[in-house]
Amino acid sequence: MIRVDGLSKSFGRKTRVHAVRDVSFAAPDGQITGLLGPNGAGKTTLLRMLATLVLPDAGTASVADLDVVRDRYAVRERMGVLSDARGLYGRLTARENIRYYGALHGLSGAMLEARIDALVDRLGLAAVADRRTLGFSQGERMKVAIARALVHDPATIMLDEPTNGLDIMSVRALREQLRDLRAAGCCLLFSSHVMQEVAALCDRIVILGAGRVVAQGTAEELIEQSGADTLEDAFVSLLGTGEGLAA
Amino acid sequence: MSAGAGRATATARTLAVLRKEVVDSLRDRRTLLVSLLTAAAAGPIFLLLIFNLIASQADRARELKLPAVGLEHAPALVAFLERQQVTLSAAPGDYEARLRTGDLDIVLVIDPDFAADVAAGKQATVRLVADHSRDRARSSIRQAETLLHAYNRQWGVQRLLLRGVAPTVGHPLNIEEQNLATAQSSGAIILFLVAFYGLLASVMGGMPVALDTTAGERERASLEPLLMTPARPLELVVGKWLAVAFFNALVVLVTLTGFYLTLTFAPLPAVGTPFLFGLREFARFIAVLVPIVLLMPAVLLYFGCRARTFKEAQANISLLMFVVSMIPAVQLFLQQKEPDWLVLLPISGQYTLLRLALRGEALPLAQLALSYVMPAILIAVALVTVARMLSREAILAGK
Repeated sequence: MIRVDGLSKSFGRKTRVHAVRDVSFAAPDGQITGLLGPNGAGKTTLLRMLATLVLPDAGTASVADLDVVRDRYAVRERMGVLSDARGLYGRLTARENIRYYGALHGLSGAMLEARIDALVDRLGLAAVADRRTLGFSQGERMKVAIARALVHDPATIMLDEPTNGLDIMSVRALREQLRDLRAAGCCLLFSSHVMQEVAALCDRIVILGAGRVVAQGTAEELIEQSGADTLEDAFVSLLGTGEGLAA
Repeated sequence: MSAGAGRATATARTLAVLRKEVVDSLRDRRTLLVSLLTAAAAGPIFLLLIFNLIASQADRARELKLPAVGLEHAPALVAFLERQQVTLSAAPGDYEARLRTGDLDIVLVIDPDFAADVAAGKQATVRLVADHSRDRARSSIRQAETLLHAYNRQWGVQRLLLRGVAPTVGHPLNIEEQNLATAQSSGAIILFLVAFYGLLASVMGGMPVALDTTAGERERASLEPLLMTPARPLELVVGKWLAVAFFNALVVLVTLTGFYLTLTFAPLPAVGTPFLFGLREFARFIAVLVPIVLLMPAVLLYFGCRARTFKEAQANISLLMFVVSMIPAVQLFLQQKEPDWLVLLPISGQYTLLRLALRGEALPLAQLALSYVMPAILIAVALVTVARMLSREAILAGK
């Protein structure tokens, strides 16, 4: 469960950029919550605050009832994040990349190896698991980054634009993974600027525009709220612009 | 979670960072090979140059080769010089040009009227032609001058004696030279070079790994996910610091081993070395260099983290290297008796102690302990500073 209450963040001294303004929403367990908004809407800043890397100027947020400022390390132990930056260590194999993060999460020995094997198997990485990641394709790199984020079996998972640069096969495989995690009772928060992506996957949708929550609810609720016929029209009318919604 | 378990996890995470960084850097075969080969080859090449320098200086000092013009005019002078082991030869016609180009160091010109002047009781003339701006020629010039003055005095004394005058009448002043330089303290420059090179290895050795593990981490976009793990910034920094120090120590060991093996086994010219480097000195070098081997990685991590890009980090570190390597050079050229507090100053203190070790002196333990103080403080400050930088959100901005 992720709870966000009145969260704000701005950057810069002379000309302040209000990246996130008074954002409130909740992402319940066993559901996929989509964070949808055009480029520059504040999605990455919001996720960084939830991932405890950036301190909010105002408001509070909690992950599994742990405050992201006060209990930041406890939050990190319970959360898996696929961030915007997802660089791997090219001279290490896929397995070694995953193992490093497992060790940093305090796992070791047979338990860690079993966990790595399970992830390699589930993400279809078996063929490349023992190769150095330097020559990996975009899709293979993404899978390793996801495995790395999930190595400690977190109950809360955040993914920042996870389908960026993936081909359609990889996107479908990723959706399967996320649905499995939802079925296992995880709380998933998924950010994207691609409407179709969010519509295909998410149970609940939070629309961000210029740092604020423009609307939130299920797809049906959003269509109803906007008085439009389709989800796409609903987005455009809620945001007041179609900018950034194209794939 | 109890405090003990917390400490155990912290240690485990620090070791995980150390292990990963060491494996990662060991896989970077080319960079590693270049660093280690440079370190291994530098010792032998460098020592060979030094030995040639010593040997050629010694040769020059031993026998003076003196090309001359008009030898036939002064047979007595020729006989005198030959008794003094001087090798005389007829100078080529274009000797002035050759002196200018440095083919010849010095030429003796005996005046054609030498014999006639002597017979007439006049002063006879000999000319020493040389380029005084040439360092290499200096010892030959000085030697030739000394010999000619000696001949002049001997001849004068003989004449005075013939006339019944005591030699002291003509030479009231007796100048004696006493050179206090021993074989080991004379080679200040050579001492400087060997100490400097050992020091340089400990300053530079960790650079590639330090850059890769800081600025490289950021450039690879792997820093942000790393900072999202429960590993505390200080654990990340200490792990990385130990990894860089490991490679730094490796480079220092390879460099010193190169020195030692070359001096022990290579067929070097048999000249008196102005320094010692046996196993005892090897151990003393290590004892002196430990603080720098540990300090430089911490400083390099700081510069690597501070920079926004790999390139900026490289530029900053080059500047750091320049400043650090200038310290011993300044000390050499100031040529002053060094104040005692200098041992407290990192680099400078180590340089002073390394020269003691090369002279074969035992390291003063109090001084050695003092030389550890500042590096220890600086390491702590640097590591805490880098950890604080990593926990600030600004570190993400330069992604």
